[in-house]
Amino acid sequence: MTDLLNMASLLVTAAAVIAATVVLATTRLLALALPVFLEFVTAAGLIRLAAEPTWMSLLMAASIVAVRRFIVAGLRVHT
Amino acid sequence: MGDRVLAADIELLPASTLRDVVDVLVQLIEAAGALIIFAGAVIAFVRFLRTGVGMQRSAREFATIRLSLGRFLVLGLEFQLAGDVLRTAISPSFEEIGQLAAIATIRTALNYFLSREIARERAEIEDPTVPQVAPP
Repeated sequence: MTDLLNMASLLVTAAAVIAATVVLATTRLLALALPVFLEFVTAAGLIRLAAEPTWMSLLMAASIVAVRRFIVAGLRVHT
Repeated sequence: MGDRVLAADIELLPASTLRDVVDVLVQLIEAAGALIIFAGAVIAFVRFLRTGVGMQRSAREFATIRLSLGRFLVLGLEFQLAGDVLRTAISPSFEEIGQLAAIATIRTALNYFLSREIARERAEIEDPTVPQVAPP
C-alpha cells in the first residue's frame, strides 16, 4: 500500500513539472504556471502523507503548504 | 442485572477487535482520499495537455482546470480528515496523538486555504470584465 502511494505521489510530481511546462509554454505567464505546479505538488504531498505519516513526511507536507501559501499570496500582490 | 448486560457487551466487542476494525476503516478511508486526489491529478493533467495542444488555449481555461484540481484536493482532504477523526479512537500513545494532531492541523489549514482560493478564483473566472490571454 505504502509503495503504491509513494509511486502515485512520484507520478503526480512528474505531472506537476509537465503540466506547469505546458501552461508556461502556452501562455508565457509564470503567474499562471507556478500555481499549477504548486497545486500538483500539494496533491503529491497529500498522497505521500496518506502513505506514511512520519514526522519527516509531515514536515515536507507542511513546508509545501507554507511555500504554496506564500507564493500564491506573493503572486496576488504582483498581478 | 445491569452488570451482567455490561459484561456481555464487553465480551461481544473486545478492545482489540474494535482497534482492528477501526484500523481497517481508517486505512480504507485514507486510501479513498488518496485515490480521489490521484484521480483529480490525472484528470487535470490530461485536461492541461489537451488544452495546451488544442485551440481553446486561454488563461481562463487553465485557471478553470486548476480550480477543478483544487476541488478534488478539498474532497480528498475531507476523506483524510474523516480518517484522522476515526483514528483518534485507537491512538494509544502520546507520540501517535501528537502526530495525528499535526496531520489534522495541516489538513484542516490546507482545506481552509483551498476552499477560500477556490471561492475567490471562481468569482474571478465568472467575472466577464477579467481579460483573457490570447494564445501566442
